[in-house]
Amino acid sequence: MATPQQLQLYAPLSGVLMPMDLVPDPVFSSRVIGDGLCIDPTSTTLCAPLAGIVSNVQASGHAISITNENGVQVLMHIGLDTVNLAGKGFTRLVEEGEQVDIGQSLIEFDADFVAMNARSLLTLMLVVSGEPFTWLAPQTGGVDSGQPLLQLDLAGKASSEPVTEEGDALFSRPVTLANPNGLHARPAAVFAQAAKGFSASVFLHKRQQSVNAKSLVAIMTLQTAKGDVVQVSASGPDAEAAINTLTELLATGCGEGVAEPAAQVEAKAPEVSSPTVLRGVCASAGSAFGQVVQIAERDLEVNEPGTTPPAEREQLSCGLAEARLALQQLRDNATGSAQADIFKAHQELLEDPVLLGGAEALISEGKSAGFAWRATIESTAHLFKSLDNALLAERAADLVDVGQRVLKLILGVQDQAIELPEGAILIADQLTPSQTAGLDTRKVLGFATVGGGATSHVAILARAAGLPAICGLPAQVLSLRNGSLVLLDADKGELHLDPELAAIEQLRVDRQRQEQRHQHVLAHATLAACTRDGHHVEVTANVASLSETEQAMTLGGEGVGLLRSEFLYLDRNHAPSHEEQASTYSAIARVLGPSRSLVVRTLDVGGDKPLAYVPMDSETNPFLGMRGIRLCLERPQLLRDQFKAILACAGLAQLHIMLPMVTQLSELRLARQLLEEEALAAGHAELPKLGIMIEVPAAALMADLFAPEVDFFSIGTNDLTQYTLAMDRDHPRLAAQADSFHPSVLRLIASTVQAAHAHGKWVGVCGAMASETLAVPLLLGLGVDELSVSVPLIPAIKAAVREVDLVDCQAIARQVLGLDSAEQVREALRQYHEATVDTSRVLENGHV
Amino acid sequence: MFEKMQQAFWRALTPDLVVDEPKVVAQPVAGLAANVVAALGGVDNLKSHKAVALTRVRVELRDVERLDRQALTAAGVPGVMMLEGGVVHLITGLTP
Repeated sequence: MATPQQLQLYAPLSGVLMPMDLVPDPVFSSRVIGDGLCIDPTSTTLCAPLAGIVSNVQASGHAISITNENGVQVLMHIGLDTVNLAGKGFTRLVEEGEQVDIGQSLIEFDADFVAMNARSLLTLMLVVSGEPFTWLAPQTGGVDSGQPLLQLDLAGKASSEPVTEEGDALFSRPVTLANPNGLHARPAAVFAQAAKGFSASVFLHKRQQSVNAKSLVAIMTLQTAKGDVVQVSASGPDAEAAINTLTELLATGCGEGVAEPAAQVEAKAPEVSSPTVLRGVCASAGSAFGQVVQIAERDLEVNEPGTTPPAEREQLSCGLAEARLALQQLRDNATGSAQADIFKAHQELLEDPVLLGGAEALISEGKSAGFAWRATIESTAHLFKSLDNALLAERAADLVDVGQRVLKLILGVQDQAIELPEGAILIADQLTPSQTAGLDTRKVLGFATVGGGATSHVAILARAAGLPAICGLPAQVLSLRNGSLVLLDADKGELHLDPELAAIEQLRVDRQRQEQRHQHVLAHATLAACTRDGHHVEVTANVASLSETEQAMTLGGEGVGLLRSEFLYLDRNHAPSHEEQASTYSAIARVLGPSRSLVVRTLDVGGDKPLAYVPMDSETNPFLGMRGIRLCLERPQLLRDQFKAILACAGLAQLHIMLPMVTQLSELRLARQLLEEEALAAGHAELPKLGIMIEVPAAALMADLFAPEVDFFSIGTNDLTQYTLAMDRDHPRLAAQADSFHPSVLRLIASTVQAAHAHGKWVGVCGAMASETLAVPLLLGLGVDELSVSVPLIPAIKAAVREVDLVDCQAIARQVLGLDSAEQVREALRQYHEATVDTSRVLENGHV
Repeated sequence: MFEKMQQAFWRALTPDLVVDEPKVVAQPVAGLAANVVAALGGVDNLKSHKAVALTRVRVELRDVERLDRQALTAAGVPGVMMLEGGVVHLITGLTP
């Protein structure tokens, strides 16, 4: 036994010693965490080097620390970068808080598995409490498990008095951890080391827990994970400096490479947005001038312990039943089908077995209904968010929304209807469907949110209501005073905080003019889309259902240029039957009739929008993965079935089949072969027209080779733009630059058209660009033969075609191909528009 | 398993890019000193060998009984870890 002043540490493993300086991991070799030793193990059971309490054992089982009665704390870390194994290969034999004796087995590991799957097996034993030590054995060579190795001098302990929170503590803003494995040993050590540099006492908070930020082990006990929100608090003379430094450190990953969350970048770099203009992403087009109304969700307090499980269970089921009724009411009163669908989805969440099971388990443990429900919702939402899938992350917002609804009912909290002033522009971190449903949309002029993207509910609802909306604004928008006047210019993605009177007046005039113009083009929707010099352009519709097709026909659509067949496949557990598919295609074809063309795009899904019945491995980058034709050729039966069903409507309309995401000629040839086989089997003498989407730059660049083998091209400008510019069109900071008007994209369109026409084939554009009136002269000038546009915009695009001369268009198209940037192209087109078209608008207004 | 399939796949596609693992019979064994091979029971006893985890050589032996611990130590291998299924890790340290 060692004397009270001295303590011996025993070898936790057998193996070969390696000098600390040589350990190939700077966090350990620099002794940031603490000094100690490193063993390359030849035994597979980690044993306690001292007696004490297990003060922390990582869930992943690769690290453990033991604290003895004198406060000596020893950390053992098995292997390098083993945190990435997420527990595989490790078996914990003790629990946190357990008293262990010297030599007791702590963790067993599968040495062969770890050696094959992690960077190294080198195991560290570190005195994190900082006592100096002397060696009891040679510092190199072999050691046997249980052999005395180090002698600690307890008297010489480095001064590290327990820190206590004193005075008024300052709190940092919340930081979302981006470290892939949370604050595990390496980043935690870097963080603790930085915290030790301040004399202030510093604490790290995660939800209700808070720990001493200067203690590595304490930080590790928080068991943080990626996406956890933490806060730093500090009190003492240099508290402010500590908070600034440490928050920055957390945000940048504590020495680990992390992709910085965009929202924080915005917050840290206010110079990106000048003080009077905040920038975001357009979620719904339009503009509005109105007053700020901030919408914030209240935090609800719940008691953790419950009364009795049966009583709490009863309370939960009452809350769920009431919520179901309320949602039904919202569904019945919903203004559009988009909104009704959202509340239907919410009702389904209330019956989700995972949520109910999770809450039930916590209630059985004696927790209150409110606590159990909230904890289950939070952990599931966190799981959704951590899956790194934008769609699922959006769904996390639904989960939180529905969770809040039930929680309020359980707690008996009344939901006050938000009293809106006239002309409100709603501002929120994230607007939930429940919040927007209760709103009087007559008083709302627009939405501006920090969270959300093009697929968020705000975007969907705003578009359905025809209101402008911007998402992805910097967080400072939340500090705008209620009632202050702002100009929301969603088209440009800008929120003007201090708009000039002239700008507001201009906006009013523009809106009136837009309204007049809208009425005018609607009245002339059935007229053909012919340029002034008599060149006819086909204006067709992008549709995804029978009802949209019908609507397109009443709005003057000359056919369907893009039928997105995914609607038949999404949101279901099995592939649609042949009969269902065939009858849907036939119904749509009948609406069009034998003289109009119907372009059916084959199934375009992939890792970003997976199908339940087409199991797919998750992909790190689904947009560069198994999408579109790639997936279909991998599962040819899916494609054969679809061809068979599409062929059933041959003769009812001018049938065209279009393949998405084609990159290789072989993909086209293979698909054609399948189509020919199916047509032959069904006894069709004549094949339908077969074309491809041009959305991968490879296909655009090789259009001259594709052209002889297709009947037509249709350019998908959205994907073509994002692949050409290497910019995600939903990226909060890049979306504004991911513009189809970029000269590089235009050049690809130009060469595609040239190649097609050389072989007598026609070219359509079915991306969002075709639905922009500004692009009309440009696309006509480039020689595009067909514009397939979103249904409500058919009249406007047809009107835009009627306003121009093809000769002028060709001149302007040639000119913009040589410009530097998308902005320059847009500006040139605006000038052209003002010079040539505005004169005709005066005439039109005369008609109204 | 997956890795192996992937390797085989790559090899089929790009025969010149993926180097075949040396055959067991190849003489001398790459990466292992002759006296180490001898201490492991000779080339015939070696099913496979591979450098892993920065400091180790993982070998698979046909007959573990033929391994000579003393001879390995003498050959300069400071640590030997005997695992299941004839797998042995030789601790060779960081390669400079």
